[in-house]
Amino acid sequence: MIRFILVQNRQGKTRLEKWYQTYTEQERLKLKAEVHRTVASRDQKHQSNFVEFHNHRVVYRRYAGLFFCFCIDTNDNELAYLEAIHLFVEVLDSYHGNVCELDLVFNFYRVYQVLDEMILAGEIQETSRSVILGRLDQLDKLE
Amino acid sequence: MAAMKGLTVFIADMRKCRSREEEERRVNKELANIRTKFKDNSLNGYNRKKYVCKLVYMSLLGYDVNFGHREAVELINSSKYSEKQVGYLAVTLVVPEESDFLRMVVGAMRRDIHDTNEFNVCLALNAIANLGAREIASALTPDIFMQLVSSASSVFAKKKAALCLLRLLRRHPDAVNSHEWATRVIPYMGHRDIGVTMSVTSLVTALAQQYPDEMRKAGAFAVRRLKSLVIDNSYSMDYMYYNVPVPWLQIKFLRLLQYFPAPENPELRMQLLDILRHIIDVSQEPQRDLQQMNAQYSILFEAINLGIELDIDQGLMQECAVLLGKFITSRETNVRYLGLETMAHLAAYIENLDAVKTYQGVIIQSLRDRDVSVRRRALDLLYSMCDVSNAKMIVSELLRHMAVADFALREEMALKVAILTEKYATEYSWYVDVMMRLLSLAGDHMGDEVWHRVVQVILGNEELQTYACKISLQTLKAPVCHESAFKVSAYVLGEFGHLIANAEDCAPIDQLKALQAKMPATSVSGRNVALTTIAKFINLFPEIKSLCLRILDRYRNALDAELQQRACEYYALGTLENEDLLPTVFEEMPPFPDRQSALMSRLLKKEADTEDQRTWVFGGREINRERKMHTPSTPTTPRPPELPEPASPQAPASPQQPAEDLAVRKSKRHYTRLLWENDGILFDGDEIQVGLVSQFKAPAGRVGVFLGNKATAPLSDISVQAIAQDMNLAIAQAANQDPLPSALMPLGQVRLFFDIACKNAFAQPPLLRITYNIAGSSSTVELQMPVTVTHFMDPVTISVGDFFARWKQLGEGDVGEAQSVISMPFLKTDQAGMQWLRSVVGGVGFALINGADPEPDNIVGVGIVSSESARFGCLVRAEPKKEHGMTRFTVRSTNADIAKVALANIAMIVESK
Repeated sequence: MIRFILVQNRQGKTRLEKWYQTYTEQERLKLKAEVHRTVASRDQKHQSNFVEFHNHRVVYRRYAGLFFCFCIDTNDNELAYLEAIHLFVEVLDSYHGNVCELDLVFNFYRVYQVLDEMILAGEIQETSRSVILGRLDQLDKLE
Repeated sequence: MAAMKGLTVFIADMRKCRSREEEERRVNKELANIRTKFKDNSLNGYNRKKYVCKLVYMSLLGYDVNFGHREAVELINSSKYSEKQVGYLAVTLVVPEESDFLRMVVGAMRRDIHDTNEFNVCLALNAIANLGAREIASALTPDIFMQLVSSASSVFAKKKAALCLLRLLRRHPDAVNSHEWATRVIPYMGHRDIGVTMSVTSLVTALAQQYPDEMRKAGAFAVRRLKSLVIDNSYSMDYMYYNVPVPWLQIKFLRLLQYFPAPENPELRMQLLDILRHIIDVSQEPQRDLQQMNAQYSILFEAINLGIELDIDQGLMQECAVLLGKFITSRETNVRYLGLETMAHLAAYIENLDAVKTYQGVIIQSLRDRDVSVRRRALDLLYSMCDVSNAKMIVSELLRHMAVADFALREEMALKVAILTEKYATEYSWYVDVMMRLLSLAGDHMGDEVWHRVVQVILGNEELQTYACKISLQTLKAPVCHESAFKVSAYVLGEFGHLIANAEDCAPIDQLKALQAKMPATSVSGRNVALTTIAKFINLFPEIKSLCLRILDRYRNALDAELQQRACEYYALGTLENEDLLPTVFEEMPPFPDRQSALMSRLLKKEADTEDQRTWVFGGREINRERKMHTPSTPTTPRPPELPEPASPQAPASPQQPAEDLAVRKSKRHYTRLLWENDGILFDGDEIQVGLVSQFKAPAGRVGVFLGNKATAPLSDISVQAIAQDMNLAIAQAANQDPLPSALMPLGQVRLFFDIACKNAFAQPPLLRITYNIAGSSSTVELQMPVTVTHFMDPVTISVGDFFARWKQLGEGDVGEAQSVISMPFLKTDQAGMQWLRSVVGGVGFALINGADPEPDNIVGVGIVSSESARFGCLVRAEPKKEHGMTRFTVRSTNADIAKVALANIAMIVESK
């Protein structure tokens, strides 16, 4: 199960946070800082996309200046989540038309909507790009 | 939803702020503005939405927003979708779970779930999944379930409903009444919509861990759908991901199947193997890009995991081992990482570790990988693949690596070295040497558990103590001595210093001086241990009493309270008139009871933190087998093992035999079978049937006795007693079980568990005495229980070369050897006879060492019997002569009783064929 999702820039500013497990505000702050420290310091070329994080694992992928991080259980399938990150980015890309960091900032409430169509309760809900985008299109037309 | 201009402007303003102070000013201004706006009752929906959105934004930036909850709820009640959406978003992000507003939200959710507008239904379901609060679980579970199963609900509502149920089930298992609906969700795994199938399968996977038996038929669904995806290529193009059909769904199915035993239906089994083979074959084809490769490999690794878990096809396992061997040298770091991890899974199940050991060199190399994540996996794998034959090598590599390892890794490394060394120590000196080195090297990186454990082990093994003393003294005399090593040394000398007191340079005075010299440099806790040792010296060595007292006296003025108190009390004890007290207080410590090592629990606790249960843990076959035995798949309601099917057809008994004799023969047959099988019938009489289910984890065991009434009248006054016939075996009724009923109806069954502890090698199996009344007359049945010393034997693999070295060693010493030649006429004719013989030797508890004996037909094996007080090695050699139909069995052990019992057991089994 996904424990949380963080999208952070290289300076460690969190652009998207989604918690599938209850943490207190203090814990969240601490986790955000720790994830940034752990992930940003890693060598992108020669190191894997997985890193141990407390009793869990962080699967991450970097797109331009943004780190997309999923914190998952140690018995979850790492590559499946690595590709789920890619799928999420592809969906965001099509939805926003070449997504950039600022889209995430200004349209934060929409990003949550995108996420809710793809991942719910920490589990992957829908994996077809066309189904997700079609649904989002439908929702956007509603008043 | 159209963008909100005011919100965009506000976010842009915030981004312009140069400093945190400036940003705070802007936030405060906005908060004040929003407060006034909210006081205005004529605020329209659009503005309300905009302001709530701003509040959400501020709270995401970390500002404390403690108002606006009412407005959020009002938005939820709006008829406009975009307002409702923002309302629910605010509730999930801003409103704290314990807030009173949540109750109002639950009401709104209920309304929305039953709305005819499916978009509103989905919004409510999203919010439920995001909040997952207890009130929701207890109030809305039936409504959510209806959304999943109703024919009127949309596929979007269905998949969301399934995941809502999953979230609530995981968070509040007691509030969702899952037993009422668990099996009803299974058919939705066959839903034509892939999204629904996917979400339902996630839910079913969680339920399968809670209701393994009830949910088992979901396995068939998974196999069928996998087959259509993998082999029949039937899927919609919408779900192709870089030329791979729905990798995530394939993985879900492959994962779900790992929670079930291998399917019994041969057709299903074949299909499953076909699927696994197919996945392996497809992954061998060249891939076009990274995404495709990742997707393909994600399926492949899951398929390998399932293959390992099913453990039904040795060929497949070997193939997997070869593939994994390739992966761990891959240039892709991700693949190396997963290769190592999956190989550790393989090592947790595979019978013969040789397939993994082939790669030992590469794996050790991986301890130096560029990526710490890979290094970690290499450590896990080395830990899992360790056995007697490679323990020394692996431990020394780990120790060598310790000095350069990452700080974050050292603690775990130290724990693992400590566990492996204890588990596979064959020489006492090795254990002590390694542990002392470990404490000196990594003392700073580990908790007190490690040095505590070293002390426990030394206290529990008499043979170790003299050597440990020598090393302790050496450690104290060395120029530098690590804190933890100091504590162990001090403790050991205090307990056993007298054992070496006559050796050169080890006199009491030398010991005391060495200890005293290191005291000033150690911490308070170290000095505390040292003071206790000095007090013990007063008792052990009266000749240095005055010196000891002088040291204690000095510490009576120590600043630290604990030091001072110890010094004062010990000083007082040492100067008492009555000299009887001292020896009593400082009597030698008794050996520690052998409970699970704290090191192990520490390691396991870390791994257990997963939402779906792990199907395996790091640490090799032994611990995984034990885990499967000890953790019933249902944590909440452990179900007892069922009474095995009524006895298989009995050997035809010749009719001339008197009835009495027949009964004895039959019962002996049963007993013999249970010598090498864990469950079965022990006694099958006219009135009662007794079944047995046993689990052994040396030196303990548990036996469940099942008593069935075969008569037509009820049994009353039943008593079931187990009586130990040997003082080295303890057997007692297990605690916390239901008392036996006052009467047992015909066809009824009761069960009773007994806990067994093997204190030392024993010769006599315990007795089971069952008494009961039937139709006014009382009967007693006494049965020998199939609990012998070999039941506490674990198979141990050693290298081919080592076997005969040990064999000779045991043959030379004054130890136990038992030998007999048994006639086995079937060997002459039966081709499978040799195979059967091998399985008997394995079944008794020996690890067969293939290729150790130059004569290919001969069978040799090794086992270790663990009792509470000692461990005994046991070796067996069987030399069959097919042409004569005879086999010579020889058993050698460090204990004569064990050799005799092991031979007797084998003989009984062989003679009963």
